[in-house]
Amino acid sequence: MSLPSPVTGVETAGTREDFATGFLRRLYKLPDGERILSCLQCGMCTGGCPLGYAMDYGPRKMIAALKAGRVDDVLKSESIWMCVACYNCTYRCPSRVPITDRMIAALREELLGRGVGVPAELQAAFEKTVRYGNPFGESPKKRDAWTKEAGVDVRVLGEGDSADVLWWVGCFPSYNKRNRKDTVGLARILNALGIDFGILGSDERCSGDLRCTSVGEVGLFNLLYEHNSQELGKRDFGEVLVGDPHAFNALSKEYPRLGTPLKVKHYAQFFEERLSELTPLIKKEMRVKVTYHDACCLGRRSGLYEEPRALLEAIPGLKMVEMPRNRENALCCGGGGGGMFLDSFIWERTRVPLPMQRVQEAAKTGADVLAVPCPLEISRFEDAIKTAGLEGRLRVREISDLLAEAMGLTGGM
Amino acid sequence: MKIAAILRQVPDVVEELVIADDGRSLAEDEVMYVTNEADEHALEQALILKGRHGATVTAVSVGGDEARDALATAVAKGADEAVYVPVPFGDRGDNHRLAAHLAPAMKEGGYDLVLTGFWSADQLDAGLAGLLAAHLSLPYVGGLVSVAVDASTKKATVRKEFPGGRVGVMELDLPALLGIQSAEQPPRYAPVSKVMQAKRTLQAKELGGSFPKEDGVRIEKLLKSDPAVRAEMLPGDAKAVADQIVRLLRERGIV
Repeated sequence: MSLPSPVTGVETAGTREDFATGFLRRLYKLPDGERILSCLQCGMCTGGCPLGYAMDYGPRKMIAALKAGRVDDVLKSESIWMCVACYNCTYRCPSRVPITDRMIAALREELLGRGVGVPAELQAAFEKTVRYGNPFGESPKKRDAWTKEAGVDVRVLGEGDSADVLWWVGCFPSYNKRNRKDTVGLARILNALGIDFGILGSDERCSGDLRCTSVGEVGLFNLLYEHNSQELGKRDFGEVLVGDPHAFNALSKEYPRLGTPLKVKHYAQFFEERLSELTPLIKKEMRVKVTYHDACCLGRRSGLYEEPRALLEAIPGLKMVEMPRNRENALCCGGGGGGMFLDSFIWERTRVPLPMQRVQEAAKTGADVLAVPCPLEISRFEDAIKTAGLEGRLRVREISDLLAEAMGLTGGM
Repeated sequence: MKIAAILRQVPDVVEELVIADDGRSLAEDEVMYVTNEADEHALEQALILKGRHGATVTAVSVGGDEARDALATAVAKGADEAVYVPVPFGDRGDNHRLAAHLAPAMKEGGYDLVLTGFWSADQLDAGLAGLLAAHLSLPYVGGLVSVAVDASTKKATVRKEFPGGRVGVMELDLPALLGIQSAEQPPRYAPVSKVMQAKRTLQAKELGGSFPKEDGVRIEKLLKSDPAVRAEMLPGDAKAVADQIVRLLRERGIV
């Protein structure tokens, strides 16, 4: 099999069929990859895609072209970089074609291998993640620097240490200044519940989902997986607790598939299971109207719809209202599948950005607070609120932050 | 056409730099290395020329063991040959010595173009490309933002950026040494799987010989920079802040 030249992308007519056949063979070999062959061309995928209107090749057309051997035509399309891993297509597909995690990923992997057309911001995020284990280019040594602000003891588990719960903190919650406030809140709740927990500290690296699963940098994912699975193997723990739904996705779905079985819980599940212990610790009534945004990796990807709502409803005084698009119909914030690092690329090609549409939907419910279970959504929605002129009317808050406030744990934050 | 791109490993300032007990060097154990940014651009420019003219690109990586990783990345990006140049920790950053060390190999390689970054993050003295040019008695120009080659006439047309955004266009006879400020396009990405593959199969020539002990730059003392004067935050709402800004501008005689 001969591949097109990585420099020019030019190929001769004689190699085209070989390349397409080879690409498809590799694609079909991926987990559930052969399901592409059972596509009915019903169009549920493109119809459900929040950015499908701006794609020259929506998912349905991509599948049709791939099956017809027109791999090159698909690869020339910018639509490949428009996917934000919202899992609408995957969720709605009656043939269960792994569109997000395998098809888009394989197409992106091909383009990455050729080194052509990779949006610059995403490339920079990859390079930094290779080098520093986080997409921001921050020092790996400073990953646990936030623990100094926590006000409670956060144990960094060394080799051979054990704890009931290993808390996978994640990149955004560890480094991003705005998210760190919520990370501290989560630490304080765990402490108040008397949970025996610890973190990996500077041995933790990006879990790999954010930029790898649907993003297609498979080599980078494998590098991160190998490092992380080794570090996890050196500690003894029962459950893994995560705050970032993307890390939840990677740790609960990809890591076991590759040979690292983990009992992973998002904090919304973890606390919901402990509601009877949590409720007596809630001291404050919070008279706020809250609407909840279902994160794609928790909702459509993992079916966790009720746990976050149950937690919010446990706060006295808090009134829940739903947006018209909720649960499996929730609109994506646009941050997944590398979307955090594709904003300028995608926004140039679309009309109203997804987070802007979503905060407008939230504001229309009359809610004061847009509650989220995902660190990426905080900055995306806060920016959108400013752009949409909704400042002062709507605030974005992590569920854990609302909970920490209700428990009287946010002092000095 | 044969092109060499010289890649220097320099301390990565993402990690805090620690001064060693002798007060004159960095603590070796604490330093993390990264390829000098301008050198990454030199490699990219070499690969762009390869794409245009089908040249052979040799990546020459200078430094400690990390320099081998930089070679694997360079090969994954499209370099054809790899040369590893070990440099003792205490000699890094001294471009006079480095130029003296590299000159015979650069001559022997018979390169039409030798490209390297116009500056490096740890350089103590003059630019490497100019010093190499002096050793080899070849033309040199630095601060370049593009390079075009005419293989038939053996000439290169280069664009040099001057302060104030002015650009000069110059012509050089090949072979020549060029100091690259930035490549015509940002350095390309090498996917991790390709880098790993390159690492497994890397066949780098090693430039032997002891590092020249000729007089170079001697460091008397290393100091951490003093923290700058703290910024003053103006308190209050927009109107109060605006009033204070106006007062400050008047006080300083600016308006």
